[in-house]
Amino acid sequence: MFGFWKTWKALEARGIMGINRRNADYVLKYNKRSLYPIVDDKIITKERAIAAGIHVPQLYGIISTEKEIDKLGEIIGGHTDFVIKPAQGAGGDGIIVIADRFEGRYRTVSGKIVGHEELEHHISSILTGLYSLGGHRDRALIEYRVIPDQIFKSISYEGVPDIRIIVLMGYPVMAMLRLPTRQSGGKANLHQGAIGVGVDLATGLTLRGTWLNNIINKHPDTTNAVDGVQLPYWDGFMKLAAGCYELCGLGYIGVDMVLDQEKGPLILELNARPGLNIQIANDCGLTLRTHAVEARLEDLKARGVSESVEERVAFVQEMFGHIPPVEG
Amino acid sequence: MRSLTLHLKLLIAILVVLGISVTAYQIFVLGIPVTEDATDDLWNIDAKVEFVASAKDPVKIQMFVPPLSRDYVSLNESFISNNYGVSVNRVDGNRKVTWSARRAKGNQTLYYRLVLTKRYTAEKAKIKGPTFRDSIAVEGPEKLAAEALLAPIRQHSADVETFISEAIKRVNNSNDDNAKMLLAGDPTPAHKAKIVELLLSIAHVPVEKVHTIRLVADQPQTPELWLRSFNGTDWLYFNPETGEQGLPTDRLLWWTGDENLITVDGGKKATVTFSMNNSEMNAIRLAKLTDENTDANFLEYSLYGLPLQTQQTFMIMVMIPIGVLVILVLRNLIGLQTLGTFTPVLIALAFRETQLGFGIVLFTIITALGLSLRSYLEHLKLQMLPRLSVVLTFVVVLIAAISLFSHKLGLERGLSVALFPMVILTMTIERLSITWEERGASHAMKVAIGTLFAATLAHLIMTIPELVYFVFTFPAILLIMVGFMLAMGRYRGYRLTELVRFKAFLKKADA
Repeated sequence: MFGFWKTWKALEARGIMGINRRNADYVLKYNKRSLYPIVDDKIITKERAIAAGIHVPQLYGIISTEKEIDKLGEIIGGHTDFVIKPAQGAGGDGIIVIADRFEGRYRTVSGKIVGHEELEHHISSILTGLYSLGGHRDRALIEYRVIPDQIFKSISYEGVPDIRIIVLMGYPVMAMLRLPTRQSGGKANLHQGAIGVGVDLATGLTLRGTWLNNIINKHPDTTNAVDGVQLPYWDGFMKLAAGCYELCGLGYIGVDMVLDQEKGPLILELNARPGLNIQIANDCGLTLRTHAVEARLEDLKARGVSESVEERVAFVQEMFGHIPPVEG
Repeated sequence: MRSLTLHLKLLIAILVVLGISVTAYQIFVLGIPVTEDATDDLWNIDAKVEFVASAKDPVKIQMFVPPLSRDYVSLNESFISNNYGVSVNRVDGNRKVTWSARRAKGNQTLYYRLVLTKRYTAEKAKIKGPTFRDSIAVEGPEKLAAEALLAPIRQHSADVETFISEAIKRVNNSNDDNAKMLLAGDPTPAHKAKIVELLLSIAHVPVEKVHTIRLVADQPQTPELWLRSFNGTDWLYFNPETGEQGLPTDRLLWWTGDENLITVDGGKKATVTFSMNNSEMNAIRLAKLTDENTDANFLEYSLYGLPLQTQQTFMIMVMIPIGVLVILVLRNLIGLQTLGTFTPVLIALAFRETQLGFGIVLFTIITALGLSLRSYLEHLKLQMLPRLSVVLTFVVVLIAAISLFSHKLGLERGLSVALFPMVILTMTIERLSITWEERGASHAMKVAIGTLFAATLAHLIMTIPELVYFVFTFPAILLIMVGFMLAMGRYRGYRLTELVRFKAFLKKADA
């Protein structure tokens, strides 16, 4: 009991945010329920982003009824690689990534061969709501398959590494690079076994990583060091993330982005309940940073001014950036 | 934000204060017992009257029955007698039952049965009695002996109470020649009582014979004689053999006076045998039963005012918030992962039909079989609704099979499975299988065990009889619980599992 209390105090001192605090102080406070569909439905997110001129993977088509499944071939057209996603899927479930064609069939990114009927069945499952949050009817979207930049080649296993930035009221507070592993099956979700690597907000240099709640330095599949990697276009990512507040209106979000080798930074999706493992990856508690941002907001409000995306990014980079590299 | 917090705090405070004060009112003002163990003794007294009727004459039996003036409340009284007419009348503070029949022959048996208990609310009725009486005339040597006895009694006593006590002791003193003379070789309690009465009457102290029954279970007994005298405010009781004052609490006053317990006209060999047993009864139910005699009206507006059948349902219903509270604590404070939010509570409710151990086994078997069916269906590439329907039907068939099987084996327990909520099981199977596919077997197992654990805990807590009684009797407790739930709604501390999850931070800090 005493041990637990000590742990509690130690975590609190380091500003580690727990689920209860995240829900009570951030998700419930800053995220208006009525705005949830914008982030919960990837199609709406995409439409908003396109309208705001923010780069997203190109949309090939939407299937919203059983009958429209017949049009799958038409939508795919000449594309040899594409992604099928449920519009309201959670945690990367229900996503099929087709990397190539093979003898009239499709080859997924992990090398599995699937037929056209299987794709149709999968879409049908998506429509019935198998992967959606509340189990209600859903839509399927077919979109451009992101090809990750070569920089990630050495530190990821299959799949697409993505960058998650937590944004509070337009201020990016913490960033993490998520690297798929063999265990995660090419998915970039930490609970499925992907690695999270903290990123310095100012420089875009990676810090150490977290894998299944442990701190690690090397990728388990490639054994290459995951820290000290310079992410290209870092300021671009930061501005993209900061701009998402204006895009969706939600005050506390996780912005998931990818770096395509041709198209550069793209927004994949937004998350209204971003996970907390990012803290382990950055070896830093969220609460300290969110409190700093909240203090800044109070201050600005008192002065009656608001900051632009660039000013906000500059503020957080000054405030939270330039973390000295850790020893060992 | 601050005003919201204040608002919430106020709301919680109001709810908790309201809950506590209503409960306190029920406990301290209305005097509702806090636990079900607060039971009252319930006495079942049978008086069996046997006699031989003479063939010619009409039969009339008169027997005293308890007057029940104070201390005791009769819950049920019955006179069991086939062809006899029954009438009850009060004579001088006694009650007498009269059985009568024009024609009866041979051995006759009549029963008098009384169910009684101590009065639930002690509200003393006004009592009165005589404080003066005329002397009984005695002549000759008896008079001399009586006066010789009275002189030291007067000396050794201060008031009526000690006077009577002293008189009884003197009469019981077998070495006293005067007493011996008065008793005239008949030292039965009845005769002693008569002598005591004589002595006291000379001093103008009224005394009365009281016949009591001892409330002791399973022990044959005859009425016990006591003496009593009125001191102006209360009756004082004396043991005619020892002079001890005060009637023990287990004595039930049956009748007073010199008459015999029973008189029979047109019959002979009348005997009365008493037998009694006691049972314990929930004080609340007792209060309900004695409603007419006592002021238990407050129960009218509690859940006890509902029909018994409905009460049973509500006993389960009021426990649901407790179960939900358990899940709330397990999830938000401990951080246990369960399938859905309230599925564990529903499973816990199902456990009360099947019993815990058997319920867990059934749940595990059905879920495991359902999961294997589900994984087989996965190959068929069915849509969700048809697949769910198939699983549900499978669950129903499975339950039917288990019921049949266990019935054939003679396990009646298996039949209770029919009430196991099939839809809940189906959804559990479906969600578990999705979790299995997406998060892997270990996570699915973790969630399943978490659900089962939460359900078990909720079930155990929801079936604590004391707790059920307490919540059912004091439903205002639910308000306090709502207060706690509201407070939990803004709890932002760590969950217990997070302390483990974020351990990585501390390892570094220590190093």
